Amino acid sequence: MRLLALALRRCLWMPPTLLGLTLIVFSVSHIIPADPARVLAGENAPYEQVEALRRKFGLDKPLPEQFVHYVSDVVHGNMGISLYTQRPVADDLVERLPATVELALFAIVLAVLLGLPLGVVSALRRNSLLDHVVRVITIAGLAMAAFWLAMLLQLLFSMHLNLTPVQGRINGWGPDPITGFYTLDALIRGDGETFFTALRYLTLPMLTLAIPAMATIVRFTRAGVLNVMRSQFVFYQAAMGLPRRVVIWKYILRAALIGTLTQIGLVFGNLLAGAVVVETVFSWPGLGTYAYNSILQSDYNAIMGFTLFTGSVFIGMNLLVDIAQAVLDPRGR
Amino acid sequence: MSQTDGPTIGRRGVLAGGAALSMYASTAEAARIRYVTANNNPYDILDPHQVFDIGRIAIRLNMYDALVRWVDNPAKLDLWLADKVEISADGMTYVFTLRPNVKFHDGSALTAADVVYSMERILGLKKGAYGLFSDVVKPGSTKALDALHVQFTLTKPFAVFMAVLSELWVVNSKVVQSHVKDGDWGAEWLTRNEAGSGGYRLRRFDPAIGFQCERFEAHFMPWGPGAIDEADFRVSMETATRVLGMIKGEFNTTDGYMPAEQVERMKASGNVWFKEAESIRTFYFIINHSKAPLNDINMRRALCCMFDYDGFNNNILGGTVVRNPGIIPNPMWGAPKDLKGYSYDIDKAKWYLSKVTEKLRPIQIGAMAGYPQSEQAAQMLQAGAAKAGLEIKVVAEPYTTIAPKLDDPDRAHDLIPLWRSAYFADPHNWTGYLFNSRNFKGGNASFYKNPRIDELTDQALVITDQEKRRVLYEEASRILVDEAVGLFVNNTKFYGPYSKSVKSVRFCPIGDTQDIRWIQMNS
Repeated sequence: MRLLALALRRCLWMPPTLLGLTLIVFSVSHIIPADPARVLAGENAPYEQVEALRRKFGLDKPLPEQFVHYVSDVVHGNMGISLYTQRPVADDLVERLPATVELALFAIVLAVLLGLPLGVVSALRRNSLLDHVVRVITIAGLAMAAFWLAMLLQLLFSMHLNLTPVQGRINGWGPDPITGFYTLDALIRGDGETFFTALRYLTLPMLTLAIPAMATIVRFTRAGVLNVMRSQFVFYQAAMGLPRRVVIWKYILRAALIGTLTQIGLVFGNLLAGAVVVETVFSWPGLGTYAYNSILQSDYNAIMGFTLFTGSVFIGMNLLVDIAQAVLDPRGR
Repeated sequence: MSQTDGPTIGRRGVLAGGAALSMYASTAEAARIRYVTANNNPYDILDPHQVFDIGRIAIRLNMYDALVRWVDNPAKLDLWLADKVEISADGMTYVFTLRPNVKFHDGSALTAADVVYSMERILGLKKGAYGLFSDVVKPGSTKALDALHVQFTLTKPFAVFMAVLSELWVVNSKVVQSHVKDGDWGAEWLTRNEAGSGGYRLRRFDPAIGFQCERFEAHFMPWGPGAIDEADFRVSMETATRVLGMIKGEFNTTDGYMPAEQVERMKASGNVWFKEAESIRTFYFIINHSKAPLNDINMRRALCCMFDYDGFNNNILGGTVVRNPGIIPNPMWGAPKDLKGYSYDIDKAKWYLSKVTEKLRPIQIGAMAGYPQSEQAAQMLQAGAAKAGLEIKVVAEPYTTIAPKLDDPDRAHDLIPLWRSAYFADPHNWTGYLFNSRNFKGGNASFYKNPRIDELTDQALVITDQEKRRVLYEEASRILVDEAVGLFVNNTKFYGPYSKSVKSVRFCPIGDTQDIRWIQMNS
């Protein structure tokens, strides 16, 4: 019952949060003195043509009126038409979502699979050579800019080792979509060749996203484990004569991983929303490249749609994380 | 420089090779020739009448046909869908005879009614190439005399009408009309579909990836051996990724205006060869004449003497460009061969500065963010100005921010270093559009007004004799340089990278080599 109340309370906060987000993004994107109508019309276009485009897209109206109009449309499920693709922004986002979700899922799974054990081992062997190495790697993983890491991986794996392609999501065109996830669709069809090809194309963007994500998970896991290891109940369990293995797996990890779980949720939200650079470098046809092109072309509706989507993802992930925390840790209810 | 590397595939060559077609057809199925190109612009819309830019020109050149088409370098205008054209003595009426038996991709015949509909659609949509026609073609004035004859009646003589007709892409009027919604001219449907007659027809389109097209065997222009069977036009925004993709062989080509260091990198790999040609894409600084002291001729001349042309063209750009003293590109007719531009001379700059009657103030350059050449040129001028005792501030802004300011003299920067691309190969593309005072808020971003320039460029638009027009444009060019109307830097060279499997390409500065019907590949 308390969990339900928590979820409802969080859901009630969603609309005002999204409205605030919309207002901020709308203001920022419209304050920048860009003119999508001029860019869309082209450099040879006469002023009359630019004005006609402004009228057509409602860009000639006062900003408050444009904002009210936009919010009213969004409430009715209409995120507007992209100036460039000439399609509903919602359709564009839905079309590109599978590519981004597939990439983010692979990256987070890899980051968790590597990050959790490394964080635990690093904490248990504190100040050992292994711990120092892990710490150096995690700091490097966090400090390295995504585009730089991406290029290093391209040079190493694609150019020198010739193991992966440089860019793209698949060789040629993907299979006809069932779910839109190439790997899953290939498995459903029993097409092993496409599955492994898709995996090869996934490798570099996945690694670029997974390395900093893994670094975050390692650091939070390590800190959490170290913190719990200093707790009195751990000393008590040890004093009771419980085997170290049981103390670690049953008591330390369960308590330590609550904080890590929160981070995993937030990192996954970041991967879904913040892969703009990585998708651009690897020509990955997802939401990130859509956002990048929209910004370059001052496609207001597309920018707003992307921001609303990512805002919703973050709010949704926070809600899930809060619920998961409440389930694992009764103190949070 | 030859037009092609390897065997030439001109129209005659293609026709002469007709006998080989049947033999070619038998082997075509065995080894389909596939071509992959990486584009640095999104292919987000397929409608040929809604966009008019260089970045998406491959869509128009390959899937659509127009009455005329630009080929070769220097660019020449060939009749394409048209077999014949008759122009009235007053230059107001054009009657085109269409080639017989031209088919759209759905197999239906292309007729004069389709040409008429295409013109009306451009005028109705008010997008894309609308600005090229709106001044001289009124809605309803284009007539289909019969299935193969179409007549354009202009509101006034327009010497470049033939040149701009290369942007009248003919759509299948029946197909488009069947998809019209709420009087949208079929815009929503044609955004993601095609209704053309071009050498290639659409197979797949995903705005996130690009488009794929296959050869249209029934195209009226015969195909020769080595022609591409299917082509992928992919979007890859990151320069370094496109370069690595070329070196690794994932792409057969990419954009031909890469930074010099990337060209060297690809050359060093040994996997890429280059088609080099002087293009018609001039790089210059727009000077805002509406703001003092830039309205003072001595101030502008001083600026022109502060720029180190050789240092920029030969050292920074590694000789990948050619000095162009005026606005019209060197290879274009109308550019005086003996035109002497300014040279880097700080003492002379100081002398001109001393003659400026207006009060000096810091000058602001609005460089285009994300375009290293634009930013480097701004810094080079800044350095020269500092030596001459003039303060220059450089502000880098994306083009989307700079573009709206070009319509407003008060908001516009003092100087903007940028390129003028070739939309059609006629001096009007540069001199008339950029410096005729009629084009304030639509081309003339210098806000420069000179009655003599207006007179020369207006006159050049109403006479059709190229020799007479040449004289007018040459005089205009001399005036523009003498008055230092802009700071004219260079003309770009095209360095098109190609994989070894590409045997030959045919370069035309309008569209570069994106008209893929002329490309020959190893099977």
